[in-house]
Amino acid sequence: MSENTHNSFTLVITGAPYTTQAPQTALAFARAAIAKGHTIDRIFLYGDGVHLASSLTTPPSDETHWPNAWASFLSANRVPGVACVASALRRGLVDENEQKRHELTSSNLLAPFEIAGLGEWVEGNIKSSKTLYFHGGH
Amino acid sequence: MKLPMSQIHTLHILNKTPEHPRFNECLAMMGPDDALVLTENGVTALWSTSKAALPKVFATKADLQARGLVAEANGATSVDYPELVDLTVQAKRVISW
Amino acid sequence: MTTLIVIDQAPYGLWAGREALDMAFSLATFDQPVSLLFTGAGVNWLRKGQTPDAIEQKSVERNLSAAPVFGIEQLLADEASCQRYGLSPDELIDGANMARGSSGLLASYTNVIFSN
Repeated sequence: MSENTHNSFTLVITGAPYTTQAPQTALAFARAAIAKGHTIDRIFLYGDGVHLASSLTTPPSDETHWPNAWASFLSANRVPGVACVASALRRGLVDENEQKRHELTSSNLLAPFEIAGLGEWVEGNIKSSKTLYFHGGH
Repeated sequence: MKLPMSQIHTLHILNKTPEHPRFNECLAMMGPDDALVLTENGVTALWSTSKAALPKVFATKADLQARGLVAEANGATSVDYPELVDLTVQAKRVISW
Repeated sequence: MTTLIVIDQAPYGLWAGREALDMAFSLATFDQPVSLLFTGAGVNWLRKGQTPDAIEQKSVERNLSAAPVFGIEQLLADEASCQRYGLSPDELIDGANMARGSSGLLASYTNVIFSN
C-alpha cells in the first residue's frame, strides 16, 4: 500500500470543542485527507463530541467558531455528520423530531448535522478503509 | 520530508502528556513494526524526561509550533497534516490513545 | 473484522466506560465480532458485589452480565492491573477471564478502540 492509495475514512470525534483540541485536529485531518483525494464517508460524534453539533454555541467573536467551521466543511464536501442519539439526548442536544417526541421547549441541532444511532458508526467501521478516533487529551 | 515507505503495522496516535496513564500504556503496547505519532499535548513528551523511553517518533508540526517546540532538535520527525494522512494510509491499522 | 474495545477508567465516577460498553453491544447487535479488555483502573468494572443503589446508577456488573447473551465474545481483565487493584481471579464477575495485556494481544484484533 503506498501513500497514493485511495482511502475512505470514518472520523469519530469524542472530545468536546472548547474543552479539548479534538474537533480542531479532526478538521485539519479531514481537510488534508480531502485535499489528497481521499474520501470522508462520515463524521460520527460520540460522547462529549456531540457538543460540536450545538447551534447554541457562542464563542467570543475573536475565537474560531468550531461548530460553524465543521458545518461549512460538511456542507462544502457533502460529508454526512452524525451525532449519536444516546450521547446527544443525555447531553441536551436535540433535533426537531426528538424535541416533539420528548415534548421539549426547543431544539438545538446545527445543520447539516443529523442525529442517529450507533448503527451509523458500525456501518462506517465496516465500509470505510479506516475509522479514526479523535479523543480529548484529558 | 520523506516518510518511510515500508509498511507500518499499527500507527499509534498519542495525544496525552506523559503523566496520563494511557501514555505509558501506549508505549508498552508498541510492536516492532509500529510507528508512533505525538499530537496535541502529546508533543510535550519530546521535552520531558520521558523522552528517553520513546521509540522512533513523529510529531505534528502545528502542535509543536503552537507550543514553541522544534521536533528535529529532540530526535523526532515533524509531520504536517497531509503527512499525517499519509501515515494513516500506510498503516494497516491505527490506534488512537 | 474483529474489534477490541478497551475500558481503562473505573466505573461510576466517569461515563466513558458505559459509552464503550454501548459500542460493544452495538457491534455485537450487527454480528460484528467484539471483545472487551479491562485494563488499568478499568478492572474495577469486574469486581463482584457492586451495589450502586445509593448513588442512583445502574449496576455495570449487571450490564456486563448481559454481554455473552448479546454476543460479546470475551471479557478480558489485564492480569497486572488486577494485581494492582487487589483482584484475584475468583473475585472477578462470572464470564471474565484474566489475560496478559500486550502488543501481541492487541495485534490479534483488526481494530482497537477507546470510547473517549
